Amino acid sequence: MRSISLFFKSILPLLLFTAYFGIFSSSVSFAQDVGAGAAIFKQKCTACHAINKQVLGPALKGVSERHTEAWLLKWTKNAPAMIASGDPEAKVLYDKYKPTMMTAFTELSDDDVKNIYAYVKAEGDKPPVAAAGAAVGADGTAVGGSGDGGVSNFMLIGLIAVIVIAFLVILVLNRVINTLERVMLRKKGVEVEEEEEIKKDRLAGLKMLSKNKKFIFFLVLLSVILLGSAGWKGMWETGVHTGYQPVQPIKFSHQLHAGVNKVDCQYCHSGAYKSKNASIPSANVCMNCHNYVQATEKYNGEISPEILKIYTALDYNPETKVYGNNQKPIEWIRIHNLPDFAYFNHSQHVRVAGIECQKCHGPIQTMQEVYQYSPLTMKWCINCHRETEVNHKDNAYYDQLLAAHNQLKKGEKVTAAVLGGLECGKCHY
Amino acid sequence: MDSNKKYWKGLEELKKTKEFTEKNKGEFSEPLPIEEVLNEAGLSTIAPRRDFLKTLGFGLGAVTLAACNKSPIHKAIPYLVKPEEVVPGIPNFYSSSYNGHSILVKTREGRPIKIEGNPSCVLSKGKMSAQGQASVLDLYDVSKLKGPVYNGNSTTWPQLDQYVKGELNKIKANGKKIKIISSTINSPSTKAVIGDFIAQFPNTKHVQVDAISYTGIIKANENSFGVAVIPGYRFDRAELIVSFGADFLGTWISPIEYSRQYASNRNNAALKNKKMSRHIQLEAGMTMTGTNADTRILIKPSEQGIALMNLYAALGGANVSKPLANNPNANKAITLIAKELLAAKGRCLVVCGSNDVSTQILVNAINSLLGSYGTTIDLANASFQYLGNDAEFVSCVNEMKRGEVDAVFFMNANPGYDFINAKEFSDALAKVKLRVSFADRMDETAGLCQIVAPTHHYLESWGDANPVEGFYTILQPTINPINDTRYAEEGFLGWSENPVKDYYQYIQNNWNINVLPQANSTWKQLLQSGSIYFGEKPSGAFSFTQNLSAVFQTINNQSNALAKDGENAIELILYENVAVGDGKHANNPWLQELPDPVSKVTWDNYIAIAPKFAEKLGIGETDLAEVKTGRYSLTLPVLIQPGQAAGTVSIALGYGRTKVGKAGNEVGKNAYPFLSFENGTFQFTSAATISKVGGTYELAQTQTHHTIEGRNIIREATLKDYLKDPYSGTGKGHAKTYDLWDRYEHPGHNWVMAIDLNACTGCGACIVACSAENNIPVVGRDEVRRRREMHWIRIDRYYTYNEGAEKVTEENEIKQLENLDNVTVIHQPMLCQHCEHAPCETVCPVIATMHSSEGLNHMAYNRCIGTRYCANNCPYKVRRFNWFNYWNDSRFDNYLNNEFTQLVLNPDVTPRSRGVMEKCSMCIQRIQGGKLKAKLERRTIKDGEILTACQQTCPTNAIIFGDSNDPKSAVSKALTSERTYYVLEEINTLPGVGYQTKIRNIAEA
Repeated sequence: MRSISLFFKSILPLLLFTAYFGIFSSSVSFAQDVGAGAAIFKQKCTACHAINKQVLGPALKGVSERHTEAWLLKWTKNAPAMIASGDPEAKVLYDKYKPTMMTAFTELSDDDVKNIYAYVKAEGDKPPVAAAGAAVGADGTAVGGSGDGGVSNFMLIGLIAVIVIAFLVILVLNRVINTLERVMLRKKGVEVEEEEEIKKDRLAGLKMLSKNKKFIFFLVLLSVILLGSAGWKGMWETGVHTGYQPVQPIKFSHQLHAGVNKVDCQYCHSGAYKSKNASIPSANVCMNCHNYVQATEKYNGEISPEILKIYTALDYNPETKVYGNNQKPIEWIRIHNLPDFAYFNHSQHVRVAGIECQKCHGPIQTMQEVYQYSPLTMKWCINCHRETEVNHKDNAYYDQLLAAHNQLKKGEKVTAAVLGGLECGKCHY
Repeated sequence: MDSNKKYWKGLEELKKTKEFTEKNKGEFSEPLPIEEVLNEAGLSTIAPRRDFLKTLGFGLGAVTLAACNKSPIHKAIPYLVKPEEVVPGIPNFYSSSYNGHSILVKTREGRPIKIEGNPSCVLSKGKMSAQGQASVLDLYDVSKLKGPVYNGNSTTWPQLDQYVKGELNKIKANGKKIKIISSTINSPSTKAVIGDFIAQFPNTKHVQVDAISYTGIIKANENSFGVAVIPGYRFDRAELIVSFGADFLGTWISPIEYSRQYASNRNNAALKNKKMSRHIQLEAGMTMTGTNADTRILIKPSEQGIALMNLYAALGGANVSKPLANNPNANKAITLIAKELLAAKGRCLVVCGSNDVSTQILVNAINSLLGSYGTTIDLANASFQYLGNDAEFVSCVNEMKRGEVDAVFFMNANPGYDFINAKEFSDALAKVKLRVSFADRMDETAGLCQIVAPTHHYLESWGDANPVEGFYTILQPTINPINDTRYAEEGFLGWSENPVKDYYQYIQNNWNINVLPQANSTWKQLLQSGSIYFGEKPSGAFSFTQNLSAVFQTINNQSNALAKDGENAIELILYENVAVGDGKHANNPWLQELPDPVSKVTWDNYIAIAPKFAEKLGIGETDLAEVKTGRYSLTLPVLIQPGQAAGTVSIALGYGRTKVGKAGNEVGKNAYPFLSFENGTFQFTSAATISKVGGTYELAQTQTHHTIEGRNIIREATLKDYLKDPYSGTGKGHAKTYDLWDRYEHPGHNWVMAIDLNACTGCGACIVACSAENNIPVVGRDEVRRRREMHWIRIDRYYTYNEGAEKVTEENEIKQLENLDNVTVIHQPMLCQHCEHAPCETVCPVIATMHSSEGLNHMAYNRCIGTRYCANNCPYKVRRFNWFNYWNDSRFDNYLNNEFTQLVLNPDVTPRSRGVMEKCSMCIQRIQGGKLKAKLERRTIKDGEILTACQQTCPTNAIIFGDSNDPKSAVSKALTSERTYYVLEEINTLPGVGYQTKIRNIAEA
């Protein structure tokens, strides 16, 4: 029973959250224009604005109280013109945020703008939710807070435990019922066979089997084969870490960046095109976007806690936009660990051979968290070198090499292996 | 024609001593302790069952536990803000300069890992000396000071400044003297800083003193021509070079520059034009330059001046000839030399290694007679590489002794170690109130100072240099200062309240005013090119009119003083050796382990003595002997050196440092106190006595390691023969041998190498360059004694007799033993030959060494199980076995075994672990890098684009590497030279490294 209560305790917050969110979401979806406004807001405004937070532009909470609707309409559609015209309110705003100037959105209709401000008002009226711990994403799924996504895992284990305990209880109860029935029958004077005798017979069967040499031989053979194959398999997989997925200091999602937002791999991993190291991007590369992309809309106006980690590392203050001196590097955990004695060069494979990143790194654009897709064994390298044709098109380097090659004359495929791609010294020096 | 000339590496090999044959019989010089393992206590001990089970259980458990560690956590920590120019994995090169030579510094992820010459350098033309190559290791020296020191305790810079400033102002008020003692400073900015300081403190005097002094030449030129400079020597314009003890290829003034000039008249190109310079060396100790001479004549130091006088007379100067009483050989030679010199008037050069003013004046007179001024000697384009003034320094010490000096500053000078009388110096220094050293470590002099203000390493510094007339180089930092150090110049700027406190700013101002406008250049362009050269000045007319009678008198007196009679009387020669130099870099293990080009001794200095003379004195190899002069004596091991003049011994300077650091402390003995101060200069020769003292000491000498069993691997010819038949001496015309194996196909590249034995001077720069490039461990003295040095390239030095091949018979050889003084030397760089039919490949049981389709012999370290069959089967003895894990073994702590020093490692090359065989890879990382660069740029590889480390640094271009599939490549052309031969080609290993015969320009007389 204790375990059940524990289990309930663990899922209680979740239930509460879900209930709360259910009520809450029903309470906010009151007007149609709020939804449309939300869409436009996310598309056009989030680059510079958040509801509760100053980003590049001011926080928008309570903006309708600060300005008249007519002014807001005019301002939103063409802010630069208003500043130029010398509007006093516009001037005040411009002075506060210069040299940044709000972009003109002449393509927006009055209704669009009204929808946006309706959404802003609705969002602004929401009470702020504590972002710490298990914050709830906008779509209602639980988002892990302090590291390992504890709730869902614990739930699963709890469920299994409950089932197992229930099963045991049923067994015990069954047994009790049996015994009681027998006692009752005996009291009634019915002869009941003792259980021990049955047990004896069972043991006798086992004894018989143990004297059966063929059976023993079969058993031994089976166990040798099983153990042997397991050992063999285990040996081959020693040091092979396919699927290795360590917990990273920042929950960086390739699925979001490379998959949804379609950021080119090269944007962050520029080294892969120039150098042997693909290189993890330095934090200043993150800041190219995350200077203003703060995912505040997902965290109720607060900056995403993961993006905050970049700011912490750089000692960057998003309010004042000033970098401090207390910078701490981000300690990622290396996933793809080639041994030191193997030389691998990304640029050779990516730029010269034109191999897709996915060939070795797997469906990276769908990975929430990156794991090791390929075994990174020498066998794996060699197989690819044997199969992959050399990308010699428009590469003068290969001209002479190929001219000398018989394979080509015979019309055969020129693989990396044919050009010496299997030789020790190509990777080991 | 096959030569039957006898070549030998050491006397033990020549005489086939019992010890030598024993040592060379087996694979290892020492018996392996196999017996110990297999004897009673080892193998046949019965292990109790319980013990066995315990061990088994523990082993099983440990292995299981170790295997449980699924995936080790490796951190990957990227830059927070990546500098724009850094791409992890790709090196950056910065121009800077080392000792006035323009260099390129290779940095990886912000740390300098290799020094290359800058091809635009006027002096080196892209080449580098062994010391220059090794200088990068000094940056990662753990023995350096971490910050400023006051009275032995660490202090802060403001505190230090406050103290020094206060003291200086007091001295200014009381009018006492201030001295700045430095080694040569040819940096215009540093000189300007010192000038500014002197303007502020007018009682200051800047005294320059060099451990190895060239004051003699400077003073002589001042006397003869009124210009106090070291002239520019032009060995490339000299068809006949006569050197009296000047080691101009090894150490003398500007050896890289001279080596290049020298080789330009002796290399393949010159020989193709049927021209070759002739080089005659007259000397007592065997110098590296002497080993390269066509004719080498032995004269003692006491005979040197007289010989010059005789030469002067024979050339038609004043008749002061006085035949050498005990040296008929030299007498005969001098007459012949005079004849040759007169025939080559205006195309010849006479140089002398003496630091004596009178001797150098006489040399000037001889050169003037020969019309060398304006042709081979250029006083207008002088060298500023050495500006020291011995007399000034000695008088400075005297002033200190008299208590006239209140403050002294030491910049890159260490008289506490290299002054002739350390006691006298330290007593004098004790009388100075303010003693400041700018040394980077607590060295011998810094230990005597109350303030040590460590300055940056040159790779951490801005700076400049003006090594020769019209050539200005810039120093550019390649890393932030590692320790809390500061420019010495910034100290002076601060203490003298200079308006510019920042030295970088100061240099920039200085250049913007004094150099850049004249050169029509900008600071940015300068940083890119690294140097500015205003071109050669027209050499002015200089005539020699000096009266020489006083000079002759002095020379006679000196000769008499040196030549002492007596049973054990010797003439002592103190010299700078190629590796350790003047001792400044004594804590550099790469240099300490670099075998001396002549004696092949590492990690020690020694008494070099002629074989017959030693026999006469009853001194043998490894005996300890004492050399004694009136003031100083030293006990050192003896090295029998063929080619040393009888009655002389040589001792290298630069050893015996006591406060330089863990690697260099107490290596050898300090010979500087043998120097004497006479006639205004330090003298590097002295009269002395030698006596055997008890005991022996084994020198770590590599000369007979990896011996090739007396096989005929050296080929040489005389110029006369070469001109008759260019194939002469190559041993061509062997009977066709048959291949046991199929030939490999090389459809893409075929990487090969050509080594010109006539250009190689044996300097060893390639060895250090290779160590830096390929992460070669330093093993230390004891391991070298066990023949376990790890260098992938070695320079085999062979001795041979002067006799023509036809005269050599077995009896003749034995007779020759009598006259071992008269030997000639040949240097042969030996590295993996990348044989097409490699004997190592066929015996490897695990196929760890394999042939590639590009002609290379690959070595896969992680496949190697260390059977060492390959090393045994290698006829060239170029494979090295890792007896220890040199990178992580406390026995090698003093060398490269610490995390900080290991920052110098090349990340593209795996450091090898224990139990693994290694060898030259032809810098495969550079080949792969070059190929990749071409692929990325979608073009073919250009010849000369990929350079091996040894080739890149070789001052004489003796090593050429390239693709023999490209018929236009330099290496293809070199290998088609008639002189080409392959070592041991008769065993048909088909080496990938071709050698070109040594040609000797021996006089036809």
